[in-house]
Amino acid sequence: MSPLSSGKKGSRHLFMGNEAIARGALEAGVRVVAGYPGTPASEIIENLAKIAKEGSRKLYVEWSVNEKVALEVASAASFAGLPTMAVMKQPGLNVAADYLLHLSGSGVRGPMVLVSADDPGALSSVNEGETRYYAKLMEIPLLEPGDFQEAKDMTTWAFKLSDTIKNVVLLRTVTRLSHASGTVVLGEIPENGSNAFFKHDGFILDPNEGAILSPPVEYKHTEQQRKLKIAEALFEDSPFNTYTGPEKPELLIITSSICSLYSKEAVSILGVRDRVGILKLGTTWPLPPKRLLKHLSSCDHIFIVEEVLPFLEDEVKILAAEHGKTLGAKFFYGKKEGYLPMVGEMNPDKVAAALSRILAMPQPGMDDVYKKRATEISFAGSPHREATFCPGCPHRASFWTLNTALSMDNRNGFVCGDIGCYSMAVLPAGFSTLKTLHAMGSGTGVASGFGKLGGFGMSQPVLSVCGDSTFFHSAIPPLVNAIHHHSNMTLVVLDNSGTAMTGFQPHPGLEKDAMGNVAEKIDIPEVCRALGAEVRVCDPFDVSESRQVLLDLMDRDGVKVLVLKQSCALSPEKKSLKKYTMSVDQSLCAGENCGCNRLCTRIFACPGLIWDKENNRSRIDEVVCAGCGVCSSICPKGAIMKKEAV
Amino acid sequence: MRILGSSELCEDVQKKDLCVDCGACAGLCPYFVSHKGKIARLFPCTLPQGRCHAFCPKTEIDLNHVSETIVGKSYDGSPLGHMRAIWKTRAGRLMQGKGAFQNGGTASSLLVAAMASGLIDAAALTRRKGLIPEPFLATSTDQILSCAGSKYMASPTLASVHEYSREKGQKLAVVGTPCQMTALGLIRMNPLGREDFHDPVALSMGLFCTWALDTRRLIRLIENRVNLQDIQSMDVPPPPSQVMTIRTCDQNLAIPLDEIRTAIPAGCSICPDMTAEFTDLSVGALEGDPSWNTLIVRTEKGESLVEEAVRQGYLERDAMRPEHLEHLRKGASAKKKRAFIMARDKHLLNTDPAKGPSALIIKEDLVKKLLGEEGSCLH
Repeated sequence: MSPLSSGKKGSRHLFMGNEAIARGALEAGVRVVAGYPGTPASEIIENLAKIAKEGSRKLYVEWSVNEKVALEVASAASFAGLPTMAVMKQPGLNVAADYLLHLSGSGVRGPMVLVSADDPGALSSVNEGETRYYAKLMEIPLLEPGDFQEAKDMTTWAFKLSDTIKNVVLLRTVTRLSHASGTVVLGEIPENGSNAFFKHDGFILDPNEGAILSPPVEYKHTEQQRKLKIAEALFEDSPFNTYTGPEKPELLIITSSICSLYSKEAVSILGVRDRVGILKLGTTWPLPPKRLLKHLSSCDHIFIVEEVLPFLEDEVKILAAEHGKTLGAKFFYGKKEGYLPMVGEMNPDKVAAALSRILAMPQPGMDDVYKKRATEISFAGSPHREATFCPGCPHRASFWTLNTALSMDNRNGFVCGDIGCYSMAVLPAGFSTLKTLHAMGSGTGVASGFGKLGGFGMSQPVLSVCGDSTFFHSAIPPLVNAIHHHSNMTLVVLDNSGTAMTGFQPHPGLEKDAMGNVAEKIDIPEVCRALGAEVRVCDPFDVSESRQVLLDLMDRDGVKVLVLKQSCALSPEKKSLKKYTMSVDQSLCAGENCGCNRLCTRIFACPGLIWDKENNRSRIDEVVCAGCGVCSSICPKGAIMKKEAV
Repeated sequence: MRILGSSELCEDVQKKDLCVDCGACAGLCPYFVSHKGKIARLFPCTLPQGRCHAFCPKTEIDLNHVSETIVGKSYDGSPLGHMRAIWKTRAGRLMQGKGAFQNGGTASSLLVAAMASGLIDAAALTRRKGLIPEPFLATSTDQILSCAGSKYMASPTLASVHEYSREKGQKLAVVGTPCQMTALGLIRMNPLGREDFHDPVALSMGLFCTWALDTRRLIRLIENRVNLQDIQSMDVPPPPSQVMTIRTCDQNLAIPLDEIRTAIPAGCSICPDMTAEFTDLSVGALEGDPSWNTLIVRTEKGESLVEEAVRQGYLERDAMRPEHLEHLRKGASAKKKRAFIMARDKHLLNTDPAKGPSALIIKEDLVKKLLGEEGSCLH
């Protein structure tokens, strides 16, 4: 039993931020949790799914087909009176935003929390989208935990707040909170609560028994804003808003989220605790005005520390302007003044550098000897490694096929892509094959559009790629669109049998769901055929067949689908199992000579192949090689041998 | 004749649409492959010099150098190249009823004779697969006969020469268009001096060619008029006919030459060679009589094969009428002149190396002579 579910009240545990959020939800008595995988949010649902069937616990957890559906699924539980939670990474919030606008307008019944995880600096993303503005846009309260204990406590309290105001509460976490670990003192997990029942036959405007809807808009919108005022009043006394520092500081830092830890560290590095105060806000929308005004009146110099866009900064400035008469002029040091960047992840060094500038102090630096040694080691001591696909990854073989087929076809064809491990195909890892890279499913939508430009003289073949999970998430509507409009394009589904990039979460194409229950498996080729596409299925490890099939498909008009099906090299059923034992016959290897010029190590570049400098020949790195056998089919000299592994 | 790498080849040939898919660069390495009448480079290669560039008939070809090496005589711009003899020929009595020949069946008959005599073990030929021709390595009489007929489209036939050049003692016949025969000459010169190269060519036989067609462009022209898989043969009957005929099992399609010409790749427009001048033998149609061929004998080896084939009854020959020879010369010299003018206009003839690569290099006084007074030495 994991401490996530069995940890007793008052006990201390080392929890990842995402585990703390999961525990917080359990302590709030959550019954239904739905989401879509996405770093850094995935572990919240993964952890809850693992314990969902323990003992007599009544908990339903699902990986939904996409974030909008997740929000819809979770809201249904709320409508039936149950505590419920939807979980996603920030780009998923964009997907769910349409429903969220309606949901926040209609209000909820059972307490409902929406967790959205931001990835400042795009450590595991292709953007650094913002959750906070959605709170303002959707007019719902926003909570931002600043440490691990708060991640748990604030999640539990978010359910209470939702129950009080009968609307969704947004909880924002960030990568460094979700994925780092810290000690958390646990609270009580309540007994199973009441049964689900959806009351719907009361008076239409009755929030507890009527139909649930956002019209009449003016009435409901007024209600929504009234709820927000209640939240604002509660925020005034919230223990999640804390101040540390002198009563009349020289400089007031206003911060939130994980940036509060960076701020503490920076103040400590510079040794200015007696000069600088830190106002850490946990309730960042709507801001509690009285609380803020109290601190603003204590100090004229305000330094705002937050990640990416100046959300907090703008709101504080507006408040200060609104109360300019009583507060007097303030000096702000924020992003708009150039003290901190509006892009990328924050860290203590950036905060300390800005702080020393504001306080006109020498910038704290590294010890010179240490700095010199660190630079030496990082440049000379560590081998150069490209971001690349794993050894044995089907994507390397698939993009080899896509790239060589497009080159052979010779009409300047290209591939439109989206989010997955295969996004790396914009890099040499995937032979720079992807030429557009945007949101989930967007490759296919963009391809659908490109495929209609024949009338404007465009004769380039158009391909798109999506993963198997992405296919269900958001590639079906654009595929329908392309078929309906007689677009000319080929969708290549890179089916590696799981939501591989985020850790093999199940999806509708698989036989098991998040909780391990038997699920209805939906067949991708059958879906595409039923829609009217010409469909072929190949094993990407059979490079020559896949390429021939793709060449044939590209030559025909209409919408074609090629499913390249091969499990991820890291999938549980494959991991550490080698199908082939590989070797290089160095007497056959052409090395750098005309006739090869190191195709395998220079272009194909699987980490399992290495260049033997002594002999000027390739060889296999037996430790790294996954035994997929693909490299033997790309060697022009037949020097790479494969033998069935025993 | 500078030899450079694959990037220069792409820049100077592929990107200028000069590639004619002869196949000289294909099959050497994993980077160049032929697909649908064009050579594609799959990935960049970093070698400063490659056989791909050295063998390409569109990269800085010094015609004199090739002529001296392959024919043993300097390039003088004569319309039909150096020749020992020219005949009208057709399949002899031993070959009667053996195949569906385009014209007289001379090429097939000579190959069968060469194989029977042990001069060759195999022949690198081109076979029809519906519309699209494909290289075929024939090792028997039946296989030779299965390749009879004109294709009007390039196929990477030369790729199989590379295969045979890896072993000593091969006896290969290679049949192809003038550009392919030029490339074959370059291959046999072993310009990079590789020790693992063994000239496998026992017989080179060129086919007369005024132009070939780009596969994709031709497909676009005819795909709505004929089922591509059903195409059995194609022909351009001599003037005054102004059509290309395409025959399937149940259809005879005539397409005006003006339309067909839109599918000629730019590479053909700078080709000065109509009769495949760097070969042992060259074969083409005979004006006015589709049941005969024109055969040009260029080397001693070619001559002895022809004599033997005639003696044994594989080939029938007769003297060519002077006016037919005159017409052939006119046609060949017109192609030469057009090509040199086009090449010069595109800055591809004897270009100052500082200003970019040439496609063709010939002696400057010869350019003047050839392009000087209208008709002075072109006939």
